[in-house]
Parts: sequence; structure tokens; C-alpha cells
Amino acid sequence: MDLDANRSLIAAALGRIPAGDRTALQTVYRLTSAKLFGVCLRILGERGEAEDVLQEVYVTVWRKAADFDASRASPMTWLIAIARNRSIDRLRASRQSRNMAPIEQASEIADIAATADHALEGLQEHARLHGCLGSLATHERAALRGAFFDGNTYEELAARMAVPLGTMKSWIRRAMIKLKACLEQ
Amino acid sequence: MSDVLDHSGLPEEELLAAEYALGVLAGTERAAAEHRIARDPGFARQVAEWEQRLAPWAAEIPGVVPPPQVWDRIAGALPPPTPDRGLWQSLAFWRGLSLATGLLTAACVAALIYLGTLTQPQPLVATIEGDGHRHFVATIDAKRGMVAVVPAAFSADATRVPELWLIPADGKPRPVGLLRADRTVTLTLTAELAALAKGEAILAVSLEPPGGSTTGLPTGPVIATGKLTSL
Repeated sequence: MDLDANRSLIAAALGRIPAGDRTALQTVYRLTSAKLFGVCLRILGERGEAEDVLQEVYVTVWRKAADFDASRASPMTWLIAIARNRSIDRLRASRQSRNMAPIEQASEIADIAATADHALEGLQEHARLHGCLGSLATHERAALRGAFFDGNTYEELAARMAVPLGTMKSWIRRAMIKLKACLEQ
Repeated sequence: MSDVLDHSGLPEEELLAAEYALGVLAGTERAAAEHRIARDPGFARQVAEWEQRLAPWAAEIPGVVPPPQVWDRIAGALPPPTPDRGLWQSLAFWRGLSLATGLLTAACVAALIYLGTLTQPQPLVATIEGDGHRHFVATIDAKRGMVAVVPAAFSADATRVPELWLIPADGKPRPVGLLRADRTVTLTLTAELAALAKGEAILAVSLEPPGGSTTGLPTGPVIATGKLTSL
């Protein structure tokens, strides 16, 4: 589907939700639920929990659609943030993240996005982010990946990468500073 | 590692926004960040900017179609559908306003048909109101000496009955007859009353003991009045 057309369809449907338009929410769901379910499933690692959280995500969208400002944010960005945050909330409520396997730093270089879903995210934005992530040190990129895709906390990342907590905080913060500088170039 | 906690490059506030958006915070730190998002628009904007920077990464997560029952559960968790709520409100609205508007029309039509005045000039009508409610609608055919009174939002009283009075220009109430809360009543006007039933005369309803006032004047409270006007 054409990216701009899709984006404006989602944004327009979000705009109708505050008036109580259930078919508008259904439109948003139809266009975005596969992506958001993928996000929930990736972070939570279990279908039943991902389904529960996906339900929470769309009920949140229903309640908070008035907060979405199409002039300032992409609808997918807004929706993905809700899906990630609800999933992370669910993870935090349980004891720890599902994915706690040791992170092999050397293997992280290979995460070129052959499977990237550009229909929703935009080729350019993804390529740019990917380029900037590639400019980070391997351990920094690995730590960011663990946080973004597995929902790991600082403590969990430190455990997975076998470094002290302070070191992990430093890695992440330094990586975010570099990432912002790169994206703003 | 040489780079322990690094506070250079970005303000602490923005680093916190980045950490929240990335999702590495837990416990009270995460709760505090959420609290701040809700109350500090500047901080909320920084979080949104970081979400914008990171979101394209989600392109690497393959989509998975959720099972159909998820939508059913979402739909079930929403408040009642707007159209139904609108209909309900509409029903309540009509009930609340009662019969007032609907029966006003019905009253005029019924009275006109009953009195056969469609060919007669200038029947008089009065909407008899009190306490913000339209209690009765009366239609008078002075020429034929008849008055039809339709209950609108009038609630029956267990011990008293509504009585209709005509109050002409002299201000002295004349009894017309007893009304019913549950159906239209047609009363005959005496020649004297028919002569007094002109525009600007007042129709009033009082609550009287069963059988009506025996004094020739209202003895109970006058609960509603209405001025006669030409239709």
C-alpha cells in the first residue's frame, strides 16, 4: 500500500475516534493491528499475553485518540509507542523480560533489515536510522537492540551483556547522544 | 571502561526522555517519568521526539495478524456505541419533554377534527403551562361553544382533580369543567362563557377535590395557566 495514502488514512481515522466513531477505531485496527501485534509479540514473546496487551493498546487508542496530533507526529510512531509501552508495562508487572539470553555482541552487526516493513514505516526513515545505528559501537547497538526489541531494563541488559549496571547506563546514554547527533545531521 | 556515567552532550532531562522512550527504565524511575509526561508538556514533547527517532526501527519487526477474537474483545471493552446512545438520549429527550411537543400537534389536530372547525375561522388555542411544564393544550371553538383539552405533561394527583377555569378580561375565574390526566376531555361552553372566550383571555387549571370546586372559584392551587390566542 502507498505509504502516504496509508498514513493519511490512519491519521484521518484517528481523528474521528474522539467523536465516538467505532468504525474509525476498526479502520485503525484493520490497518495497523498486524504491525502492533508483531511489536507486542516481539517484546512479550507469548501469544496470549500479546493478545491481552493488543486489546489494551486499542482501548488506549480509543481513549487517547484526542491526544494524537497529526501535524506533529506520524500515526504509526504514536501507535507503536503505545504498543511498546503497554507491552513494557506488562513485562515490568511480571518478574522480568522474557528474553534474557546472553547477547553476543559480535553477532549484532548482521541485523540489516532485509525483512523491514517499509509499507508502514517509510524506507527513508528506516534507512537513516539504520545508518546511524551502524555508526555506533557494536556493544552500544547491541544494548539498544535489547532495550527496543526485547523490552529489557538497564539491569537486564547489564546481566545479558555481563557488565556492571553503571557501565550499561553509560553505554546507553552515550549511544543515545550519538544517535541524536547523527539523525540531526 | 573509560566512559562511566556520561552527563555531557545532552541535558539530564532529555536523557531521561530518551531512556523512557527506549524502555530501559523500571519501577519508580519509569513511574516517575510517566508522571512527568502527564504534567510537563516540554518533557512529554521530548519523549515524543525520541519515540519518533526510534519508531522506524520497528520496521524490522514482522507483522503478525492477530486472531479475530481480539477485535471482538476490543469492541466489547468500548463504551456503548454512539448511535445507540444517541437513540437512547433521543428517547429520553422525548420522554422528558413528554407529550408536550408531540401532543401539542396531536391536540390541535384532534381538536380541529373533533370540533369540525377546519372550515370555521379562528379557533383559539392555549397551551396551559406551569412550573416549566406544559400541562394541557386547549382548543376552543367559541362559535360552537366547545373546548377540547388534551393532557400533555400533566401528572395525575391521587387525591385531587384538575379543573379548568376561564379568566376573561375582568379577572374573575369562571369554572369550565373537570379535566383528565389520561385522555382528552371535551367540554361545552355556556353562551356566556363562549362570549368571554376571546383572545387574551386566560385558561387556568387548579387542583380541586374530586367533583371539583363547589364554591364557583378555585379552592386549590392554580398549577398552570395559558393565554388564548388565535390559531
